[in-house]
Amino acid sequence: MQFQRIVTGKIKSDLYYDLIELFSGLFLAGFLGMHLIFESSIIAGKKVFNNLSQTLDENYLALAGISLVVVVFFIHFLTAGRRIPTRCKEQKIIWHHTGRLRHLNTWAWVLQIITGIIILILGSIHMWVVVTDRPIKAETSALRIQSGYLWFYVILLLLSVVHAGIGIYRQFIKWGWFPRKPLGYVIGFISIFFILLGFTALFTFLRAGGL
Amino acid sequence: MKNRELTLNIFRYDPNIPGREPYMQPYSLQETEGMTIFIALNQIRENQDPSLKFDFVCRAAICGSCGMLVNGRPRLACKTLTRDLPEVITLMPLPVFKLIGDLSVDTGSWFRQLSIKTGAWVHSDKSFNPNCQEERMSNETALKIYEAERCIECGCCIAGCATANIRDDFLGAAGLYKIARFMVDPRDERPEEKYFDVVSSEEGVFGCLGLMACEDNCPMELPLQVQLAYVRRKMALIGFRV
Ligand code: FES
Repeated sequence: MQFQRIVTGKIKSDLYYDLIELFSGLFLAGFLGMHLIFESSIIAGKKVFNNLSQTLDENYLALAGISLVVVVFFIHFLTAGRRIPTRCKEQKIIWHHTGRLRHLNTWAWVLQIITGIIILILGSIHMWVVVTDRPIKAETSALRIQSGYLWFYVILLLLSVVHAGIGIYRQFIKWGWFPRKPLGYVIGFISIFFILLGFTALFTFLRAGGL
Repeated sequence: MKNRELTLNIFRYDPNIPGREPYMQPYSLQETEGMTIFIALNQIRENQDPSLKFDFVCRAAICGSCGMLVNGRPRLACKTLTRDLPEVITLMPLPVFKLIGDLSVDTGSWFRQLSIKTGAWVHSDKSFNPNCQEERMSNETALKIYEAERCIECGCCIAGCATANIRDDFLGAAGLYKIARFMVDPRDERPEEKYFDVVSSEEGVFGCLGLMACEDNCPMELPLQVQLAYVRRKMALIGFRV
C-alpha cells in the first residue's frame, strides 16, 4: 500500500456512502408509495382526502414527514449523485459504450441518471409549492392541477416511479436479495400499479369541478 | 440454410504508426456450415489481408484470448457462430484493455495487475511438510472453489462494464470473482481486514453499479451476480466488525 493510504488509515466511507444511498433510496421509494396511496384517497371523495390530510396535520405527522423527506431527498442526491459520470470524457465514453452494448440494464442506469436529475429539479419545485401552500387540501390541490400544473405532475409521477423502480431493482441485484428475472417482473408490475393509481388520482383532481 | 454472403466490418488501427487514424474496413466472404468468427477471421487473413491482427490460441473457449466486440457486444470469437448473426457483422476490439492493433488487445497485463493488486494466491504461513498427509477439504468447499475458478479471464465482463470503461482502477467482475475464490478457500489465512482493504472501496465492490452487463456477457455463463452480491454482503459485515 502507498504512504498516503497508510497514514489515512482504514477508510470506510465507500461502504457508508453505499449504505446511505441504499437506505435513503429505500426510504424515498417507500415514501413515494405512501404519498401516492394517500393522494389517491381523493378517488374516494374530497371529504376522505381532507380528513386524512387533517389527521396527518393535527398529529404533526405531515410536518415531520415533509421535513424528513426534504432532508433525505437531498442526502440521496448527494450520495447517489456521486456516481454520475461528471467529466465530459466519461460521459462520451458512456454514450458510446451504452449505444454499442445495447444492454437493457445499462440503458436503465442511464435512464435513472437522467430521471434523477430531472426529479431533483421538479421534486424541489413540488416540495417548495407544497410547503409554502400548507395545509394540504383537496381544493387547493385540485386548483393547482386544473390551473395548468397537470403536465408537471404527470411528468413527475412517471419519472419518480421509473426512477424508484430501477433503483430498487439495482439495489436488490447488488445485494443479491432476490433472483433477477422474477424481481424485474415484480417491480415492473408494482410500478405500473402506482403509475395507474397516480393517473387516476390526477384525473379525479382534474374532474373535481365546482370546488 | 442457404449459405450467405457475409460482410465483416472490422476495426483497423495500428497505434504504432504515428498519424494513422482508426477506420472500419469491410471484407466479404462466403458463409460456410458451422462457421465461427474465428474461422471467418482466419479465412480473411489467409485469403484477403495478411496484415489483420487478432488473437487466438485454443479456439475452444478455454484460453480466453479471442474476446472482441461482435456487433458491439463482448464475445469469444471462437464460440460465436455466424449463423446466429445478421449478414453484416461489425468486429471491434475489447475496450478497457490496451490495444495492440486491430482486434488484438493485451488482457494479460491487465489480469496480471489484478492478481498482484488482489493478492490472488493462497496466503499461508504454514510450512510444507512432505511427510504429512494433505489436509482434507470437504467436497462442498472444493466444488465452491472449483466454481470460482472457472473464469477464463477473457475480459468480456470488464469490457461490458460501464464502471470499468471509465475507471481504470476498477477490479470488475473478474477481479471480485477472483477475490471470492480466495474467500471461500480455507487454506487462505488472510484475516478479513485484508480483504476489506482490497475490495471495499470504489475500486472494488462498492464501485459496482449493479448493471449486470458482466453477467449477461460472460461467455462461460458464470453466476457473477451471485458472487458479486456475496462479496458485497461479506464486505459490509466485515466493515462493521473491523
Ligand atoms: S481462442 Fe481460446 S477462448 Fe477463443
